Amino acid sequence: MTETTDIAAQIQDTISANDVVLYMKGTKSMPQCGFSSRVAGVLNYMGVDFADVNVLADEGIRQGIKDFSDWPTVPQLYVKGEFVGGCDIITEMTLSGELDTLFDSKGVSYDKDAANKIREANG
Amino acid sequence: MTVTETIRDRLQAAFAPHALDVVDDSERHRGHAGYQDGGESHFNVRIRAAAFEGQSRIARHRAVHDALGKDLVSRIHALSLDIDS
Repeated sequence: MTETTDIAAQIQDTISANDVVLYMKGTKSMPQCGFSSRVAGVLNYMGVDFADVNVLADEGIRQGIKDFSDWPTVPQLYVKGEFVGGCDIITEMTLSGELDTLFDSKGVSYDKDAANKIREANG
Repeated sequence: MTVTETIRDRLQAAFAPHALDVVDDSERHRGHAGYQDGGESHFNVRIRAAAFEGQSRIARHRAVHDALGKDLVSRIHALSLDIDS
């Protein structure tokens, strides 16, 4: 197996084994980029149980996740193995309520009141 | 041609938008990761075009990434997109 397919297999394992995965710069407790920080902050605030993968800790994953998702930027959110989007999309979906709908349909638990508070504060 | 102009030209050519704003937001990120002297590292784009009608959010973003081209997208540190029809 080539290194590239190894990395793709590793990513596939991670997104299969965890309901919600955020590929980000830094960690959920110590993000190292404003865009990663925003998405991790939303998920933390909404009480979503998610796995964080720090792309800065692994150059192979840093490039590999871009190829895997066909998406040029980080952060990247996966829910139940499906790519949902990056910072702009997650922000829009949070404010529109689509993220709640997605979590509802996928059976991902979160704090609805917290989600509503985000919308009230940014309405 | 500046990066701002290149972004504007490519999006104009690809989507014939009825609204298009390209803002070099690099100064606001001075000192942050990815900032480079002379700016042109962080951009905010707002685009409105009929071409995006009926497309999912991901499809819209991918269409914009494709129109800008891999070289340009990988050169920009951060690209914030606000896309609608």
